[in-house]
Amino acid sequence: MSDIADAHGGQNHHPGAATYLTIAALLAGLTAMEITVFYVHALHPVLVPLLIVLAAAKFALVAMFYMHLKYDKWLLTGVFIFPLIIATLLLVSLILLFAYLSTHMTPAG
Amino acid sequence: MAAQPKPLPAHQPSYLEGGGILGWLTTIDHKRVAVMYLVSALFFMALGGFEAMAIRVQLWSPDNHALSAATYNAFFTMHGTTMVFLVVMPLLLGFFGNFLIPLQIGARDVAFPRLNAMSFWLAMVAGVLLHLGWVRGGLPDAGWFGYANLTERYFTPGLAIDWWVIGLLVSGTSTVLTGLNFLTTIIAMRAPGMTYMRMPMFIWSLMATSILILIAFPALTIGLIFLLFDRFFGTHFYVASAGATPILWQHLFWLFGHPEVYIMALPAFGMISEIIPAFSRKPLFGYPMMAYSICLIAFLSYGVWGHHMFATGMGPVADSAFAVTSMLIAIPTGVKIFSWIATVWGGSLRMTTAFYFALGMLLEFTLGGLSGIMHASAPIDLQQTDSYFVVAHFHYVLFGGVIFTIMAAFYYWWPKVTGRMLGERLGKWHFWLTVVGFNLTFFPMHILGMWGMPRRTYTYGADMGWTHLNQVETIGAFILGVAFLVFYFNIFKSLTSAERAPADPWDGRSLEWSTASPPPAYNFAAIPQIRGRDAWWMLKYGHAGSRGVAAYASGAAPSQPPPGEPLSVEHIHMPAPSIFPLVSSLAVGMIGLGLIIDWYRIILIGAAVTVLSIVGMGFEYADYGEESHDPEHAPSSGGVDVRKIGVWSFIGSECVFFASLISTFIVYKSRSVSGPGPQILNIPLTSVSTFILLMSSLLMVLALAATQRGDKLWQRIWLGGTAAFGLIFLGGQVYEFTSFYHEGMGLTTNLFSQSFFVLVGFHGVHVAIGVLWLSVLLVAAMAGKLGKSRALSVELVGLYWHFVDVVWIIIFTLVYLMQAVPGA
Repeated sequence: MSDIADAHGGQNHHPGAATYLTIAALLAGLTAMEITVFYVHALHPVLVPLLIVLAAAKFALVAMFYMHLKYDKWLLTGVFIFPLIIATLLLVSLILLFAYLSTHMTPAG
Repeated sequence: MAAQPKPLPAHQPSYLEGGGILGWLTTIDHKRVAVMYLVSALFFMALGGFEAMAIRVQLWSPDNHALSAATYNAFFTMHGTTMVFLVVMPLLLGFFGNFLIPLQIGARDVAFPRLNAMSFWLAMVAGVLLHLGWVRGGLPDAGWFGYANLTERYFTPGLAIDWWVIGLLVSGTSTVLTGLNFLTTIIAMRAPGMTYMRMPMFIWSLMATSILILIAFPALTIGLIFLLFDRFFGTHFYVASAGATPILWQHLFWLFGHPEVYIMALPAFGMISEIIPAFSRKPLFGYPMMAYSICLIAFLSYGVWGHHMFATGMGPVADSAFAVTSMLIAIPTGVKIFSWIATVWGGSLRMTTAFYFALGMLLEFTLGGLSGIMHASAPIDLQQTDSYFVVAHFHYVLFGGVIFTIMAAFYYWWPKVTGRMLGERLGKWHFWLTVVGFNLTFFPMHILGMWGMPRRTYTYGADMGWTHLNQVETIGAFILGVAFLVFYFNIFKSLTSAERAPADPWDGRSLEWSTASPPPAYNFAAIPQIRGRDAWWMLKYGHAGSRGVAAYASGAAPSQPPPGEPLSVEHIHMPAPSIFPLVSSLAVGMIGLGLIIDWYRIILIGAAVTVLSIVGMGFEYADYGEESHDPEHAPSSGGVDVRKIGVWSFIGSECVFFASLISTFIVYKSRSVSGPGPQILNIPLTSVSTFILLMSSLLMVLALAATQRGDKLWQRIWLGGTAAFGLIFLGGQVYEFTSFYHEGMGLTTNLFSQSFFVLVGFHGVHVAIGVLWLSVLLVAAMAGKLGKSRALSVELVGLYWHFVDVVWIIIFTLVYLMQAVPGA
């Protein structure tokens, strides 16, 4: 990457403006795709996985390039990724537990 | 080390000396903060103990009316709340954690001293709020786990639960700040040479505990926020008649509640792992396995919350999964118990009071663990749930496991904290009275539980056959009360005696014993170089073997750092005291108070003072950063700045915060019984907002790049642009909310509206905080105080801003776009 800028006395290497602009263009493109997918009825049967993939891609781009996880120490990635995994498990667990509840219980729970 | 070594002054002032009352109110010294935690916890311990005694008096005889039923409910609620939030956690983390972490890792203080002081003052504000019911509105009375929908205003009107909700929210904030601070300190501020596998086991346990705090407390925070909205703003998050389910509270509470058990147990495991080797004169047996076990326990503890809810009917698959994880956690716990026994085995034992309590913990905690495994089995748990068997179990874990350890730790570290010894003779009395009183109080509860006595029952009939065992328990409780009186007297006697403790009275193994008792404010004259595990032992004796036993017995054990280390203290710059932690915490208390007594001017003043004092604290911190720019303070963890680790830890915690909000939205969005639903969402408008927020992230990184290359003009333009884009996003949100209101969807309309408004609203609050942060930096930039050397300040706000951005990416997908799919 030719536009890498040196910062913090050579300890961290952050990307320069060209990389940032490229990522912005990708984010804009992915958002446009999301909105397009939303309005194309033919895609509705696969809307959920499509939207999840697109959102995950945007999430990863921001985290890796704008939050510099791609360039920083692995320690910081670990500090972020572990709770993120826990949060995802929590989300899925609660959805599944309440899905069971709503199909086997009265609305009052 | 530029300065030439000079001899230490004859008398090194300890951290306890000087400053007067103002010095204590403005202190940010981790040791003084620890002592303030200690004093408050001892006070609340007496209060919680009084409540327990009153409970036992009420249960002395059948059909007793020593207390009214309402007072009884309030006392068992406040006993649990006080002991968990105001005694055990403040003692383990606030007192022992604060005091020992920097001393054991060879640092001068924690990573964020001001934040540390703020944690303490917030904890004090929480303690006051939780007890203001004595003065107005009555004490909380819905149990320490405050099950919904008992806590709804319809079932519990008045202010009692309001105090509880606000008090716990403030307490939780304090604990999260502590967890963030400890984790950062342990990661980044260890002395040179102290690798992870050389850390004292107490430090390992606090590292795992800090992670648990960061991922467990957000669930409680969200549960409490929903309850706050129900009670203050008329929503129905836990109201079954509105289509909601009170079970949601149980999930959110126990997602916090079971890790909370380990937030209390893990530090105790760590402390006992320090005390047993010291009095067995052996290294800890199986150090690596002990460290891995702590990590495994912490990880598994997050996946066992469902065993508190077998009786709610989660289904066979969920029951089985939670049963398996609950049983699995017994394996690493068993590893620890066997390692402690193996450490004692063959050791050269010194039977001090601290060691007595440590051995007592091994026995009592094991009994509590065994009854705990029974609860992992769903069919057995269904028989035991809500009976006195459960009360017996958790007291064997929390009193037998944790309080016994805390007592051992008191006798062990008291000389280091105060420079004085606790009396051994009184200590033995304290121990035996505790053992007898504890087992008389809590062992019969197993039997009463098996006989069917329900927990929290106000009284019982004479025909139940429970009288004699209840009387045994009450006698035991009073013996336990006497034991605590002996303990308090021992403290009093120690503090008033002239006898001074040496620096290393136990021939200790870890670094805190290498410095004076009590330590100087700066902890160490020179940051030690760590050469192995049991760092101080290695410095004293050269290796971790048993040579120290003979050396100690012959009186040849050294008690001062080995020669050759620089002894000059002039070059040590400690951070200056600050009034902002106290002021900001009081201001947070004003917000809570204003919410409860419905006085919005107090809320507004509190909010303004909170913001101003936090901004003031931020600028103080910047000065500290420069002041401490000395090779000794360079972080040991690969050169990553502590502030960056702190912000990332906060972001990690926020992941769980938003996951709890998003999952509630997904669960509730289609359960509304009336009113508009997802079709009301305006996708074109939100798409534009989303684009603007994404582009604000671009401006943010451009601002960082401009700062790093020293381009002041573009730095200001991009910072201002980012804040402006944030404001445009917020404007869009205000427009969206207003239009929903005009279309008939207010906050309390239905489950969809309330979960939507709370989720999206909280994201908006985060954006607003980001705009405020950016504005402060912009002002600093305009004043010429945000030069190239301050690029990290811009990077930190950037991290926060981008996180807010990625959360919106998820919300936009899950909340807005997926509404096109029926049932998604």
